[in-house]
Amino acid sequence: MEVLSIFLILLTALLIPGITGMTKAKIAGRKMPSVFQPIKDIIRLFKKGAIYSTSTSFIYKVAPLVYLSSVSVSILFLSVGSKISLISFHGDFLLFAYLLAIGKFFMIISAMDTGSSFEGMGANREALYSMLVEPAFFIIIASLALFTDYTSLNELFSNMHISSNFSYVIGIAASYVLLNTAMTENSRMPVDDPKTHLELTMIHEVMILDNSGFDLAIIHISSWLKFSIYGTLISKFIIVTTLPFYIQAVYFIIIQMILAIVIGFLESFRARNKMEKNPQWIIMLSAIAIVAFLSTLIISQKIILN
Amino acid sequence: MEVTIFNIFILLAFVIFIVPKKSQYYFSAFIHLGLIGISGFWAINCFYNYSEVSSLPFITFFSNPLNLTIDVLSAFFILVINCTVLTGFIYAKGYLKSYSTNKSKTEFAFHHFNFIWLHISMLLVVMIRDGLAFLFVWELMSLSSFFLVIFENEKQEVIKIGLKYLMQMHIGLVFIIVAFICVYIQTNGDIGFDGLSLYFATNKPFLVFILFFIGFGIKAGFIPLHTWLPHAHPAAPSHVSGVMSGVMIKIGLYGILRVLTYIHQDLFSIGMFILVISLISGILGVTFAIVQHDVKKLLAYHSIENIGIIGIGIGLGVIGIAANIPVLAVLGFAGGILHILNHSLFKSLLFYTSGSIYLQLHTRNIEQMGGMIKKMPKTAIFFLIGSLAICGLPLFNGFISEFLIYSGIFKSLLPGNLFIDITLLFSLSGLAIIGGLAIFCFTKVFSIIFLGTPRSDSATKSTEVKGSMLISFFMIGIIIIFIGILPAFIIYPLSSVVGIFTKDSSILYQSAYNLNNISLVSGIFIGLICTLGLLRNRQQKGKIIKQGPIWGCGYTGINPAKSQYTATSYADNFLLLVDRLVNVKKRFIVFKSEEIFPRKRTFHTDSSDIFEDYLVSLPSKKILYWMEKAAVFQTGQIQHYLLYALVFLIVIFFLSILNWI
Amino acid sequence: MIDIFIILYSMTLIYFALAERVSKYVILLFIQGVLLFCVLFFSLYKIEIFDFIFILLETILVKAIILPWFMNKVRRQNQLKRENDTYIPVFYSIIIVVICLLVSFFLSSKLQDTQIHSKYFTVAFASVIFGIYFIIIHRNIFSHVVGYLIIENGIFLISLALGSKMPMMVNLAVLLDVLMGVLVLGIFVNRIGNTFESVEIGHLTQLKD
Repeated sequence: MEVLSIFLILLTALLIPGITGMTKAKIAGRKMPSVFQPIKDIIRLFKKGAIYSTSTSFIYKVAPLVYLSSVSVSILFLSVGSKISLISFHGDFLLFAYLLAIGKFFMIISAMDTGSSFEGMGANREALYSMLVEPAFFIIIASLALFTDYTSLNELFSNMHISSNFSYVIGIAASYVLLNTAMTENSRMPVDDPKTHLELTMIHEVMILDNSGFDLAIIHISSWLKFSIYGTLISKFIIVTTLPFYIQAVYFIIIQMILAIVIGFLESFRARNKMEKNPQWIIMLSAIAIVAFLSTLIISQKIILN
Repeated sequence: MEVTIFNIFILLAFVIFIVPKKSQYYFSAFIHLGLIGISGFWAINCFYNYSEVSSLPFITFFSNPLNLTIDVLSAFFILVINCTVLTGFIYAKGYLKSYSTNKSKTEFAFHHFNFIWLHISMLLVVMIRDGLAFLFVWELMSLSSFFLVIFENEKQEVIKIGLKYLMQMHIGLVFIIVAFICVYIQTNGDIGFDGLSLYFATNKPFLVFILFFIGFGIKAGFIPLHTWLPHAHPAAPSHVSGVMSGVMIKIGLYGILRVLTYIHQDLFSIGMFILVISLISGILGVTFAIVQHDVKKLLAYHSIENIGIIGIGIGLGVIGIAANIPVLAVLGFAGGILHILNHSLFKSLLFYTSGSIYLQLHTRNIEQMGGMIKKMPKTAIFFLIGSLAICGLPLFNGFISEFLIYSGIFKSLLPGNLFIDITLLFSLSGLAIIGGLAIFCFTKVFSIIFLGTPRSDSATKSTEVKGSMLISFFMIGIIIIFIGILPAFIIYPLSSVVGIFTKDSSILYQSAYNLNNISLVSGIFIGLICTLGLLRNRQQKGKIIKQGPIWGCGYTGINPAKSQYTATSYADNFLLLVDRLVNVKKRFIVFKSEEIFPRKRTFHTDSSDIFEDYLVSLPSKKILYWMEKAAVFQTGQIQHYLLYALVFLIVIFFLSILNWI
Repeated sequence: MIDIFIILYSMTLIYFALAERVSKYVILLFIQGVLLFCVLFFSLYKIEIFDFIFILLETILVKAIILPWFMNKVRRQNQLKRENDTYIPVFYSIIIVVICLLVSFFLSSKLQDTQIHSKYFTVAFASVIFGIYFIIIHRNIFSHVVGYLIIENGIFLISLALGSKMPMMVNLAVLLDVLMGVLVLGIFVNRIGNTFESVEIGHLTQLKD
């Protein structure tokens, strides 16, 4: 039965980009594309050959494989609702976070491998912003670990009783931080604008400028999977674990859809930050995570207030 | 009996001066192997009989017997030393070959002699407890490494750097001597580590610990005592840098750990002190590393960062003991001590690979390199393995030690009180930031050196390295991947070392289950990569695969080497955040508006270390200034000196008349 | 219940460190006023009903409506758009505000005095320290007034912390003080803006003889 949660995560991963695209088109007053449009794009890419640059080496060919593998293996750590994930041990969120990091490492060096100045620009911005956003995730997990005294992703979420009013604050703060972390890591607003066509202003889009065919398809799939992963994490804060599983599954799908629509809204109505202002915006996420940690300290009576 | 064999090998080192040039290397290799064999035998013996401390009579010096005491901590360090020196001298075979034309036979003999004596003195330092002998062997270690550093002594700066290094080592020695003497005065015991246990039982250990920490910390390279590291490591030849950075700075950590084994009170403040200095060292070390152009200077700053990570583990362990949280104590120490082994492995690998690049290009400036992966693919792969390991990414050994430290932090959040929780929060964010910055730095280094197109002529003409150097890379690579994928095998030796500090290290066995899961996930990861590769091959079978130039935005007239990203530009957006600290100066002449056809311009950046500016250069300039003023008295004429003597006599005469002295 | 509003208040402090547009400062002041009103609503139910309603009204009117409206008017008249360079980059200000919050929470946990309600003290202390820091790093007189108002919010919370026997008197006194100060400063900012066309501290110090 645990495989069912993996199946749900993969299913929503295929639908999120379509729904985001539909939302953005509707808000902009354009005709909505079909939900399956991104999937059709991927199938089209799978039918194509590839062009490799003369300045690249074997790193360029290996990197997309490492990226997709790292994101896929990270999915094994997650589960939907109250199900147990396939792999669970103490400290597994560390392996989860660092697997995503090794995927990013390889994407950055594959971008630098082409020797093009555009990709170099994207690579160093991506490296800096992903470096700044790392503490936020760890501090959120630290607040949960303080709350529940467990250290594996399953047990953390399943023991997090939304008991007092305070836990709502932690839940909302954590969802906000995770949502914005997802936007940062997938290079969406306000860090990066995916529909800009100026290479000087791109971060993620410019790193994959030269990939083609199979490689480009699996890079797209990886970024959808990453959205789905963060959506799963956010849903674990929201779904109450006492309901039967089929209701939890329905909740899960609804939450992912809402997440996709929210991403569409955020993308349509926000402007991108100036490049120099990005680091301070990202470190603000860690600051909010620290405030959530403080509230956990208050709940667990470490800070004694009368 | 083994001790006599050990002594024979030590004396054989002197014979190397009369061996002919061709067989010098093999003779020194034989001596190294002998030393490794004997000390390794002692170390493994000690690991099998867990808590037995074996005491071997070494030499008798003026009827005072000198014993070698080996406990589990010494055994661990012996293994670390042997591992790195082994790969070091295997690498040195190919590396020294390029110097064989312009160095004489005695210079080579002296170099091998010093390398052997560095090995011997490092082994003896971890085995000797008696104070005077310890100081003597410590001094031998500094001297032999000094001579190794100034191997390329035809360059003037190398000798200057070597002398600065020697001076700083001696300052450290002074602090250690003062600390030992403090202990000796209070307890009237022997000068040595055994007297420490008596002293710390009765007095407050914090001040003496600070003295020891400064003395050993200069060797280890904690900030702000680190200013010799970034100069000495680039100046030395690569096999020496690898051994120095891999092991010799760990000997400083050995000293701190040895002093810690005797301290049982006042542990909380000591732990906080170590933790704060290590956090600062970690973050600042990697910040300075990001702005360097010289690849070995960059690696030297990364050594400072990793010493910081080890210090974070040790500091958290001490705090765990003080606050009575066993999880934190055991896992903190385990992570810190494992990182000692891990760092020696991947740092030496990185130094050796960068040494091979230096041999081909004769420059250490990464702005002159580029595209080396096509010319030196095997070196590139091993550099990549080293970079992935140093960033703490899974599949490699750096992840395991960071995993242990993180587990300790997360598990002890609930048991700790408020102050400890806030400390854990800071160390957690500090470790996360250090990891992220390390990824930033090593993507930069690897990409600029190996990827892209070559930036200078010498880069286009290089070739791959030959056999024996590849053997040392391979050996280290295998161990790195082994510890990364199958970490459960090192739990048992590690727990006995941790058991010296914490009484009960059985918690470490429980984490073996987690580590097995890491192995499982690593296996799935590698399997998935291979599967995807096979799928891609199948998909691309019937399709057209072409090669073409990269997208240049439609502009075809560019020189691809000149339009690439450079190291300075890669580091630039991080530089905007840490401007004051790193003091990067950009020197260029601005284009004037009336210059219609601009002439050629150069752009030069260099950075300076803020600690070096304010702690070393500024005081030495002030001291030199006043010394020059005082040089007025040194006129060179005998009559003036006789005048000084006469004045002194008259003053003494009057002072003794007035009964003031 | 009060803890939630305290946490939200600390988040507004973080946003103060992050924001650079002057209109955002005004919005944040409004949010802080509303939060203080909610804190007051849930805490002071012990005193007489007349005083209670009076304090509530005064808080919501002055803190949440009158002062932000006035600041907004000043902003529009002087066409202040953005706060340019601060003396310390925003990146480090965020780190400093987090350290302030941590120290403040830690200190209030150590205060074991029965007379002090340390629940309010936590973010009050941080607010005062951060307000002073805010004035130090910004160059604009308008931002100085904003910092002064942050300090005033912090003092309000401290007065809540130090017992609720006679809050009305304390509050009236402080509020009158602040109102006068802000009105005077606001009028001055307008006049200075009209006469000199700049409200930057660096330029204004040239007025000294």
